[in-house]
Amino acid sequence: MRGLELRVGAVLVTLVVAAALLSRFWTPYDPTMPAGARLQPASAAHPLGTDAFGRDLLSRLLAGAQSTVYVGVIAVGIAVLIGVPLGLWAAQLPGRASEVLLRATDVAQAFPALLLAILLAGLFGGSTETAMVAIGLASIPQFLRVARAGALQVLASDFVLAARACGIGRLAIARTHVLPNIAPLVGVQATVSFALAILAEAALSYLGLGTRPPTPTWGSMLQQAQSVWFAHPEQAVIPGVAIAVAVLGFNLLGDGLREHLDPRLREEVA
Amino acid sequence: MGNRTPHTRLGLGRRVAAVAAALALTTLAACTGQTTPGTSAPGASASPTEAPAAKTLTIAAHPELITLDPTAQAPAASAQAQLFNVYETLLKINSDGVPQPLLAQRWEVSPDGRTYTFYLNPTAKFASGKQVTAEAVVKNIDRIRTGQVDGKPVTAPDGTPVPVGAKYSTWMKVVQSATAVDPTTLKVTLTRPSNTWLYAMGDTPGLIADPDGFATLASKSAGSGPYQVKEWRKGDSLVLERNPGYWGTPGRFDTVTFKYIADPNAMNSALLAGTIDIIANEQAPDSLAQFADPARFTIVEGSTNAEVTMSMNNASPALKDVRVRRAIALAIDKKKVLDDVQAGRGTIIGSMTVPTDPYYEDLSGVNAYNPEQAKALLKEAGATDLTLRFRPANLPYATAAATDITAMLKAVGINVVLEPQPWPNWVQQVFVGKDYDLTIVAHVEARDLNTYDNSQFPNYYWGYANPAFNQLWLAADQAPREQYPDLMKKAARQLADDAASVWLYMMPNLVVTKATVTGVSQNQTTDSFDVTTIATR
Amino acid sequence: MIRSIAGRLGVFALSLLGASVVIFLACQALPGDPATALLGTSATPETIAAKRAELGLDRPLPVRYVEWVAGMLRGDFGRSFATGDSVTALIAPTLPVTGSLAALSLLLAIVIALPLGMVSALRRRHWQGGAVSVLAQLGMAVPAFWAGILLSIFFGVRLRVLPPNMYVPFAQDPVEWARHLVLPVVSLALVQAAVLIRYVRSAFLEVLHEDYFRTARAVGWTQGRALLRHGVRNAALSLVTVLGLQLAAILVGAVVVEKVFILPGLGSLLLTYADRKDVMVLQAVVMLLVLAVLVINALVEVAYVLIDPRLRAGGRA
Repeated sequence: MRGLELRVGAVLVTLVVAAALLSRFWTPYDPTMPAGARLQPASAAHPLGTDAFGRDLLSRLLAGAQSTVYVGVIAVGIAVLIGVPLGLWAAQLPGRASEVLLRATDVAQAFPALLLAILLAGLFGGSTETAMVAIGLASIPQFLRVARAGALQVLASDFVLAARACGIGRLAIARTHVLPNIAPLVGVQATVSFALAILAEAALSYLGLGTRPPTPTWGSMLQQAQSVWFAHPEQAVIPGVAIAVAVLGFNLLGDGLREHLDPRLREEVA
Repeated sequence: MGNRTPHTRLGLGRRVAAVAAALALTTLAACTGQTTPGTSAPGASASPTEAPAAKTLTIAAHPELITLDPTAQAPAASAQAQLFNVYETLLKINSDGVPQPLLAQRWEVSPDGRTYTFYLNPTAKFASGKQVTAEAVVKNIDRIRTGQVDGKPVTAPDGTPVPVGAKYSTWMKVVQSATAVDPTTLKVTLTRPSNTWLYAMGDTPGLIADPDGFATLASKSAGSGPYQVKEWRKGDSLVLERNPGYWGTPGRFDTVTFKYIADPNAMNSALLAGTIDIIANEQAPDSLAQFADPARFTIVEGSTNAEVTMSMNNASPALKDVRVRRAIALAIDKKKVLDDVQAGRGTIIGSMTVPTDPYYEDLSGVNAYNPEQAKALLKEAGATDLTLRFRPANLPYATAAATDITAMLKAVGINVVLEPQPWPNWVQQVFVGKDYDLTIVAHVEARDLNTYDNSQFPNYYWGYANPAFNQLWLAADQAPREQYPDLMKKAARQLADDAASVWLYMMPNLVVTKATVTGVSQNQTTDSFDVTTIATR
Repeated sequence: MIRSIAGRLGVFALSLLGASVVIFLACQALPGDPATALLGTSATPETIAAKRAELGLDRPLPVRYVEWVAGMLRGDFGRSFATGDSVTALIAPTLPVTGSLAALSLLLAIVIALPLGMVSALRRRHWQGGAVSVLAQLGMAVPAFWAGILLSIFFGVRLRVLPPNMYVPFAQDPVEWARHLVLPVVSLALVQAAVLIRYVRSAFLEVLHEDYFRTARAVGWTQGRALLRHGVRNAALSLVTVLGLQLAAILVGAVVVEKVFILPGLGSLLLTYADRKDVMVLQAVVMLLVLAVLVINALVEVAYVLIDPRLRAGGRA
C-alpha cells in the first residue's frame, strides 16, 4: 500500500517532466500560433480541442509543463542553494544566535511565496524571473529548518565528535559528514517545495503576474479562459487538471520518499 | 497617475485616450433618430401628470468617471453618464447624422458658412430655475475655447483653475467670437467655414452648463437636463435623480444609477441575477448565449464611433518606413481578430472612419491580409530581423486582439515583446510618453481623424506627420457641405495608403437589457449613454 | 507565566518591527524614483525635484520610515503617490470582505477536517481511512482558485443555485451577503481542510499510542468515547499550532479567490495597485497581511502557554 504513493508519484512526476522535455523539441502544433477554428471540441486533429484563439490545447498543455518545470527547478534551486548553507551555519551557531535566526525565519514565513511575488511584481513588473525569485526566496526558511535540524543531529553523533577530535575543520566536516547525511532530507523537502512552487506559479500566471504571454503556462491558460469559461467550461478544466496532476505527483513522491527514509513513520502506520 | 496630474501636460492625449477606453468599454447608445418621447420635445407635452410612479433604472458601465465635470480632462465616463441626461446641448445629432433641435429651436448659417445664428428655446431653464439664455451659452463657448469667462480664468473655490479638456478646446478653436444678440438669439462667428464644428456642438464640447455652477462643476452638476446628480459613490456608482423642474418632458425614472463594474463576467452575472437593468456594453461577446432567451433579455446590436486601432509609433526608427507599416498591416487577418475578440460582431474597417460617418468609404481592402506580400515588403525594406514592443492597454478587447496579432506578426517573421499595460500606466507610458512601437486601444470620438493632423495635434501619440493629409483634412472641413464627404474620403484614404495605423474594426455597440427595457438606442453617436429615450415595462 | 507571555509579546513586537523595516525598504529603496516614474516624459530635473518635495520623498529614508510607522499606529496609511487617495480609505471597505472570507473559510475547514481526520485515524486500516487519505491528497493538489472557478461555473452558471461571483455588503442584505460568500468560502475551505486533515489524523494517531488512552480503553471506555475525551483536545492543540501558518495560506489563497469571484477585498486591492505599481498602497496592504499573520501567530503562542502547563516555564517546545 505504502509503496504505492511512491510509485504513483514517480509516474506522475515522470509524466510531467517528460511532457516538458518533449515540448522542447516537439508539440503537435506551435503552441503560440492558431491551428484551426476557435473553441473546437476534442477531435482527432486536436485531441483536447482548441482555445479561444484557435490554438491547439494539447500543444499548449505540453509547452505549459515546460514553464512549470522550469520555474519549479530554478525556484527550488535558489531555496536549496541559500537555505541549506544557512541551515548548516545555524546549526553551528551558539544557542542564542541560533534562536534569533530561527525567529527571523518565523517572520520570513509570514511572507508566503505568492505575497512576495505580488510585491516583487508590483515593484519590478511581473515576469518569469520575479516569479522564480519570489517563490525561491519564500521557500528558503523550509530548507534552513530542515538542514539545521538534520545537521544538529549529525553534529552530535560520535563520528563527528571523533572527526573533530582529529582536528578536522568545520567546513570539511560539513562537506564530508553533514551534507551527505542530510541530503535525503533536503531531497524530500525539495520535492514538497516543488509542489508548492507549482501551485504558486499557477496562481501567479493566472493573476497575470508571472510568465508573460504568448509563452503558454497552465495558469495563463486559465486566465485566458476567463472570458469564455461560463460558455466553455472545458477551457478551465483542462489546464486545472494539469496543475492538479503535477502537484499531486510531487506531493505523493515527497510523501513516499519521506516514509521510505524515515522508518519511524513506517512503524507508526504499520 | 490619475486625475491629479496637471492637465496642461497631458493635454488632449489624456482626454482622448481616456475616452477611448471609456467608450471602448462602454460604447454607448445615444440620441438616435428614434422619435421616442422625451428625447428633446422642447417645451412640448411637459405635463407632470404623465410622470410615472416611482421607478429606478440601473446601468452597468465601465470604467468609472474620475470627475463630475464632463468637460474636464477626464475619461468620457463622466459625459457618458451625464450628457443629455444631466447636461444638454444646443442641438442633438440623430443616427443619420442630421442635427435636431434641443436647447436651440432652430439655427441659420450664413452663405459663406462662417456665421451661425441660434434661436434658443425660451422655456429652457437650468436645474437652478434660471433661463438658458444666449449669454449663458456664450459663457460656455468662451470657457471651453479659452478657459476664461469675461476675460477672467474660471477657478474653483479653492483657487485652482477649472480644467477644460484640450480635445474640447481644439474643437472650439475655430470659433472667432460668440455674442448674445438678445436673450434667446446667439451669433457665433467662425474664423473659417467648418463642417465638423456643428457636430462638436452636439457632443460633449458643446454642452451647456449653468455659468453660476462653473466653479463647482467637479463636485456638483449644473445642467438643464431631465436629471441631476444626486450622489457619486466613488468606486461604486453614480446616482442621478429626476430634475423636478425640467423644462421638457420629465424623466421617466426617479433615480438612474450608473453602476461601475470592471469585470465582464461580473457584469453578466449582475444582469442574470437581476440586480442591474442594462449592460451598457457587453465586453464578453462569447457569453452572449447566456442572454439568448428573449423572454428575459434583449440584445441590442448597433454601431459606434469607436475605431479599435492598433497604433504604430510612426516616429520610432523601425516604423518610420511606410513599407514596414504596410507590411504589418498586410500581416494582420482582421477577420480572425474580429471573430476571436468580438465573436464576429462589429465591422472591419480600413481607415479612421466608421460606417455612420457621412464620408465613410469601405477601405478594408487597402493593405488587406496578405502575409506573403508582407514578407516580401519587409525583405524589400531590409527589416528582416524586426523586434517590436507591443504595449496594448490592459482592457479585455485589446489584450485579446494583441494575442492574435502577436501570432500573426510572428508568422511573417516579426518578433513581438508583448507587454499589456494597466490603464493608468498605459496613458502615462504609451499615450503621453509615446514609449511604444505597437499598441491597441479604441478611439471612440466621432469624426476624430483630425488627430492625425499634426498641425492641430502636435505630439499626438501616432507620431504621424504628413502635410498632405493636413491639407486634405482642412480642405474638406472648409469645403461647401455637399463637397465635404468626398473631400474627407480623400483624407481617410491618405491615412490608409500611408498605413498610419492599423484600424482593426468598428467596436460594435452591444447593449444587453432586461426584456422589460425598451428604447435603448441601437447606434451610439456621441459620448452619451442617453437614458431619455429609455422606458421600462 | 506572565513573564513568559511578556517575552513572547516582546518577540512579537520585534518581529513586527523587522517585517515593517523589510517591507518599507523593499518598497521605498529598491524600485526607481516614483516621482520620475509619475512624471514620465515631462520629467526634468526641476519637475522631479518639485514632485519629490510634493510626495515628501526629499527627506531621508529613516525619517520617512518613522513617519510611516507613526501614521500606521494612528490608523493612517499615507496617501497613494499616484492618485493622492487616502490609503486607509481604500483599505477600510475591503477588510470586512477579506476578513469574513478568511475567517469563515478557516472555520469551515476545521469543521470538515476534524471528523474526517478522526475517521482517517480510527479507520486507517479500513477503506474509509484510505478514502479520506486519498481525498486529502487530491484536495491538496487542487489550487483553491481553480476549485473556485469550477464551483462558480457549476453552481453559479449551470445550476444557477448560487451567485457565480460578486459581493453584497452585510449591511445591505445579510441573506445575499451569505449567498455570495458560499462559493468562495467553500473553495478556500476545501483545500485548507485537506491540509488540516493530515494534522488531525496524526494528532489522533498520537493519542492512540498514549498511555492514558490505553488506560481509558482498559477500564472499559469505548474507543470512540476515549477518543472524544482525549483525542479531540489533542487534535485541537495540534490545530492551534498550525493555525498561524494556515492563516497565511488562507489569506494568500483569498487574494486569488477574490479575483475569481470578483470580491472587493484586500486581495483585489493589492492586485489592482500592484499592477499600477503604486508603492504606498502596496506596502500598506502587504504590511497589513503580514501583521495579520504575525498577530495570529502571537495569539496562538500565548494561548498555547495558557493551555499547556509544560510550556509555562518559558522554554520553546
